[in-house]
This record gives sequence, structure tokens and C-alpha cells, in this order.
Amino acid sequence: MKRKLLSPVLVLAALGVTFSAQAHDPKEHMKDAENPNCAAMKDMDHSKMDMNDPVMQAMMKQCMKDMHHSDGDYSMSHEDASEDGQKKASDEQHSEHQH
Amino acid sequence: MPTLTAFIRSLLIATVIGLVGAGLFIYSGLYPIGADVPHNKLSYWLLETLRERSIARAASDIQIPSNLNTSDRLLAGGADYNDMCAGCHLKPGKNESDFTIGLYPSPPNLTATADAHGHEHGSDTGSEEIAIQRQFWIIKHGIKASGMPAWGPTHSDDRIWNMVAFLQRLPSLTPDQYQILTARGNTSDSHDH
Repeated sequence: MKRKLLSPVLVLAALGVTFSAQAHDPKEHMKDAENPNCAAMKDMDHSKMDMNDPVMQAMMKQCMKDMHHSDGDYSMSHEDASEDGQKKASDEQHSEHQH
Repeated sequence: MPTLTAFIRSLLIATVIGLVGAGLFIYSGLYPIGADVPHNKLSYWLLETLRERSIARAASDIQIPSNLNTSDRLLAGGADYNDMCAGCHLKPGKNESDFTIGLYPSPPNLTATADAHGHEHGSDTGSEEIAIQRQFWIIKHGIKASGMPAWGPTHSDDRIWNMVAFLQRLPSLTPDQYQILTARGNTSDSHDH
């Protein structure tokens, strides 16, 4: 009797561990992932942008590709952006990378 | 001496009557438990005090990482916030959602500063450090019967710290900045090999 009960309990425990390990993996969100609206950066007041601000650095990382394709729209930030581009992807982003 | 004995006897009788009365009230089902009826002032005070004291005690020893304010943390934490938290705690440009209207207690609007959303937390004591410890603890452990889940069982401490890092900057973000920081879609686009 005890053995009969043990199997379903073990199966449920194993499923619990499996589901919790899969829960909220960032990859799950990639299906509905939005792209950053980098065009909005063009309308921002560049004179008020502080390139040492982590928020600004994060936006640069997100929009690096757009900025390289743009012709002078981001002239104020190109040097900084290139510098940031060297270390563009965070560790977490690299871990999601599919080669 | 008979006076003291009579006093203790009266106290015991009053305690027993109080406990029986409370038990009868609980089992009667008369207390309105629906989320659309607010607690009375006594219940609200009891629950809020219980919550705040418990969090303050449990969060007091949490060590805050020294590198909280970095762009990598903002990007990782922003994407998670948008997927997991924004429905209840809102995003810049939004003042309410079905969840903020329907949940009780209403989830705090984390796009507003602590003063603006009027929700008590560590920053009220003037300590930014306490507020950060509190946010980490709440995200990791959740809060019973409030709708706030514990993310700790499925998320690493580092990932939770990323969300805490994002929360420090959220009240100052414009809707455009928020969209750029929280979009996950750029990851694959920017890795052309």
C-alpha cells in the first residue's frame, strides 16, 4: 500500500521540480517580445542626456543597432555609444543566445 | 486578597467570553471577505501593522549589492518588471489597470515616488537602504493574502536584485524610456553572426 502511494507522490514531486525550474525563463517571453522603439530617442532632448546615467547607457545598448544605421541623428552620442557597444550584451542576454 | 481573586476570576471570565465571541463571529461567516468591501479600521490596522513589522524585521539583515545602479541590471530588471509586475504595479503613463482597481489592498503604483503613492515603506523612515531591502524581501517572499506572489522559488537572488535596481529608476522614466528599457525584442536583432 505504501509503495502504491509512493509512486504518485514521487511523480508529482518530480513534476513540481521540473515546472519550477522552467518557470519564468526569459526565453518564454521572447515569443511576444516587443522591439525597443528607438525612433523615440530622436525626439528626446539630447542636451539633457547624461551619458554617465545608467538609464541612458541602457537605452544606448538597446538601440545600438539602430544608431549605427542612422546618419547623424545621434551625433551627440555616437562616441559613447560605440564605447558602450563593446560591452553591449549583458551576461543574461548572452545566455539566451542561440548559435 | 478576596479582591484580587475576584479580579482574576473576572479577567478569566472576560477572556473566555471574548474568545468564544471571536470564535462564534469567525464561524458565523458574517465578516465580509470580498475584495470589493474594504476592511474596517481595526482589521486594517492589525493587518497592516502585522505586515510592516514582519517585513521590517525579516528584511533588516539583507545585504545590498554595491553594483545596483548599472545599465545591465536596468535592462535585465526592466524586462522582468514589464512581464511580471507592470500589470499590477503599472508603467509610466498609466494610472490604473483592472488589477489595481480590483485587488484589495490595491497594489502600490511603483511608477510614482513613495510620497506620491502614499504607501508606507522604508523610505518613510528616511532610509533609502531600508526601502531597497524591503523591496527585495517582498519580491522574493511575497505577502500572504495580498495578491503579491513570492518570486524567490523561481527566480535567483541576482535576478530579483535586477528588478530592485529597475524599481529605483522607474519613477523617473518617461513612457518612451520605459518602452526602450523593457523591450526584450532587441536581444536577437543585435546579435547578428
